[in-house]
Amino acid sequence: MGDWLAKTSQRFVAAFVTEDRWLLYIKGFGITVEIAFFAAIIGIILGTIVALMKLQPSKNGKPTVLNTIADIYIDIIRGTPSVLQLLIMWFIILKSTNNGVLVATLSFGINSGAYVAEIIRAGILAVDKGQTEAGRSLGLSSAQTLRYIVLPQAFKNALPPLGNEFIVLLKETAIVGYVSLSDLTRVANQIASRTYDAFMPLIGAAVIYLIAVKLLTMLFAMLERRMRQGDNR
Amino acid sequence: MITVKDLHKKFNDNHVLQGVNYHISPGEKIVVVGPSGSGKSTFLRCLNLLETPTSGEIWFDGKLITDKKTDINEVRRHMGMVFQHFNLFNNLTIMDNIILAPTKLKIQKPEEAKENALALLKRVNLVEKADAYPAQLSGGQKQRIAIVRSLAMNPKVMLFDEPTSALDPEMVGEVLEVMKELAESGMTMVCVTHEMGFAREVATKCLFMDGGNIMEENTPQEFFANPQCDRLQDFLSKVL
Repeated sequence: MGDWLAKTSQRFVAAFVTEDRWLLYIKGFGITVEIAFFAAIIGIILGTIVALMKLQPSKNGKPTVLNTIADIYIDIIRGTPSVLQLLIMWFIILKSTNNGVLVATLSFGINSGAYVAEIIRAGILAVDKGQTEAGRSLGLSSAQTLRYIVLPQAFKNALPPLGNEFIVLLKETAIVGYVSLSDLTRVANQIASRTYDAFMPLIGAAVIYLIAVKLLTMLFAMLERRMRQGDNR
Repeated sequence: MITVKDLHKKFNDNHVLQGVNYHISPGEKIVVVGPSGSGKSTFLRCLNLLETPTSGEIWFDGKLITDKKTDINEVRRHMGMVFQHFNLFNNLTIMDNIILAPTKLKIQKPEEAKENALALLKRVNLVEKADAYPAQLSGGQKQRIAIVRSLAMNPKVMLFDEPTSALDPEMVGEVLEVMKELAESGMTMVCVTHEMGFAREVATKCLFMDGGNIMEENTPQEFFANPQCDRLQDFLSKVL
């Protein structure tokens, strides 16, 4: 037993303490969070715009130009692997830049936008038509009705699936090692190959992700509670 | 005040309004009754263009509002509407429901709008609900707030689309009471309803619609005591 304990603490020290390796995990996690956070912001903005484009009423049963653009965007993004999108962004579209974080953030933001668009669209469709009619009957323009009445309720409806999407996004950034960024996953992997011991670094990284996701879950639960203030449910 | 000329409305193959003509003068209280599917709600919703007429003309205050060049948002400021399902804004408090349109349309400053809202809430005895959300109110309270929200815009005419049909029977009275007071204050009103008592008591004119047309128009006394067309006689025998 004492023998096992000594060995384990030795492995722990090698994985996290020697050469200040814990700093690498923190830096790696910082990159993970940075990419995920800004990608989420891009995703929300892009997703909302695309959702509105998709909801533009068709003319005489024919899809409008905006409808079509939105459909093509969503088809392409959902139809291809996000790793490939990242590589295409890195090696082809933004070949001229060396800023990996920027490339990854854009790539994940554009990716997330497609999923967020469908989430927001569902949220908007779930808002009763009477809300819009009431707004318009008071003389508010369609943009004002959208801004003050429909979208706030749509976001509330969309909060649970949005939380889901951002959890997926946070974890999916684990592939940015493909464009030589040292995020949490890559750092753990590198330390594993340096120390010839995979267990400690990989489990350590997994625990960090787990805690981060749990915090995100709690954040969304709090937001949801706050937005439900007005309901009697 | 409102003139409707040869109004038609089709939903695909469904010809809901088949050439309605009518004129409403200031101060009139028009009550529209008729069987379901007769087009009475569609007629009302055409008056503020919540439904776009297929053809025909609607004049309001000397303006042809069915003309594409007319700014419909401007016109709607002067026409209040009350819905069967209240349609209070669920994300806003009662106070914000009332002041949203007057402030966002820059008709009143926030303080002014609040003062006005409080005065209106006092009129319907709901001042204490100012900070509540719609979900915390009963149906009757919601509908009274919906009326107040429309009144906050100082409309020239109020449209009511079956305002008591979604209410529990015990709450119908409190809403009708507010509508009666409004009528007494001289407001021009158009009301689609199944409340025959209200029609008899408040209306200056009663309309009977069936099959997308106005079949009969008369003073409430004559309308109920002396219905002319067969279908109105039949309708009244069922509902009275």
